[in-house]
Amino acid sequence: MNLNLSNSGLEQPGANYDVIIIGGGPAGATAALYTARAELRTLVIDKGLGSGALGITHKIANYPGILGDISGADLLQRMRQQAESFGATFLQDKVQSVDLMAETKTVFGNSGVFTARAVIISTGSMGRGQRVPGEDELLGRGVSYCATCDAAFFKGQTVAVAGNSDEAVEEALFLTRFAKQVHLLSPTPELKAPAELVHEFASKPGAIVHPGAALRAVEGDGRVENIRFATRHQGEQTLPVSGVFIYLQGGRPITDFLQGQLQVSETGCLVVDAEYRTPLPGVFAVGDVLCNHVKQAVVAAAEGAVAAMAVEKQLHGRKQLAVDWAK
Amino acid sequence: MCEDTRELMEEVASLSPKLSVETFDFVADAAVAAQYGIDKIPAIAVVRTDAPVTNRGVRLYGIPSGYEFSTLIEDIRLVSTGDLGLNAQTLQELDALPGPIDIQVFVTPTCPYCPRAVLLAHRLALASDKVNASMVEATEFPQLANRYQVYGVPRTVVNDVIHVEGAVPEDMLMGKMKVLDDAPALFKLRQRWEANLN
Repeated sequence: MNLNLSNSGLEQPGANYDVIIIGGGPAGATAALYTARAELRTLVIDKGLGSGALGITHKIANYPGILGDISGADLLQRMRQQAESFGATFLQDKVQSVDLMAETKTVFGNSGVFTARAVIISTGSMGRGQRVPGEDELLGRGVSYCATCDAAFFKGQTVAVAGNSDEAVEEALFLTRFAKQVHLLSPTPELKAPAELVHEFASKPGAIVHPGAALRAVEGDGRVENIRFATRHQGEQTLPVSGVFIYLQGGRPITDFLQGQLQVSETGCLVVDAEYRTPLPGVFAVGDVLCNHVKQAVVAAAEGAVAAMAVEKQLHGRKQLAVDWAK
Repeated sequence: MCEDTRELMEEVASLSPKLSVETFDFVADAAVAAQYGIDKIPAIAVVRTDAPVTNRGVRLYGIPSGYEFSTLIEDIRLVSTGDLGLNAQTLQELDALPGPIDIQVFVTPTCPYCPRAVLLAHRLALASDKVNASMVEATEFPQLANRYQVYGVPRTVVNDVIHVEGAVPEDMLMGKMKVLDDAPALFKLRQRWEANLN
């Protein structure tokens, strides 16, 4: 029997990690560097290098200690390598939901279920704001945010994927194993996902890439029947599909996976204290997902460092932050 | 799938002397199936051997493979320890709701957050005799997936008419179930559901 029992989260009793960091941007990667160096078992779950604000920044010239221009992705890669050198694990995955209420925190990804004693939320602020008309009404009726979960319902059918990130292209690629036709609607003329990944998708039978295509509406009576999208050259058009998988980004803090377990402010951001603790014990938040935060990589990194020290303080039962564990 | 399911259950049961498996034939043992409220196969009822036979409780329809294997193991723990971890308000609200309450949670084996939705339903079933909660593997029961128009998982269906998308927190599911105590609203939901069927 092949039952795919791996990654069920049951291999080890209790918490698999000391700390799980959701989001691997400058805040998350720096937090990981500090927690790993403090010998806390550290897992960073991140959607991909090009999924966040720093990863897609062309040039950074004001990060202290880095002379000359460097791309955001290169800077981030260096931070990650440094964290990995101290033992942090980075996993490319998307967190779908979490259970933060219990003492042991559970994080549900597409590739597995992970548990930890503490969680740092550093998901940034590239979340979507407004949804397109029809999206909410047809959720679960052809609108989906998880191809891994739902692809089986679209065997031999035509579907669309909206997005331009690594995640969007990977999910589109996964869908080619089930659907007859997969239309990838990239809101930008160029996709942000790596070229080889885009090429792999485009070479599959039934794969169609629509560059610069803005999803305008999802339509259907009780279930998805069409989408409407617009391109600069061809204007608005209607495409008959039975499913649409949405991975679009925007400028709002990413908190939807929390499902109300933490309160968000009116502007959708998370509120923390001076040690980046949220109201839930063992749950911290740093970086662009926060209110009153200056959107700079160096600020996010600094917040990640302080939160990591606060996690270490809590898990080791210290009264004060320990600044350098190597001493 | 029935043979694979039986094999899997026997393998799991061999791990502990506290576990045992009884296998029944859906046709030849129809009376037993009826006692446990089983209406399709493969079916698993996770029950305490010292508890009376009932047609409500924890049921799994379809082989619990992939992520759903973790649901089965957690079900066994819940049934064994009775440590449900539901909050006091949920228990109060559940007590106030009229029964019987039938909860079906549609899943696929590749859905990482489906177990959370199934286990919430199973916890409610273990907390109250009026609740029956089943995991339904959507790809193994396409006729049911069609009937309830399941195109995304997890999808929780309560008494046929309340449909909840996603692995929602405990208080949100209880909030959706409040309509069970609101006869006019429930009537409207049922009318809409029946209209959709036709």
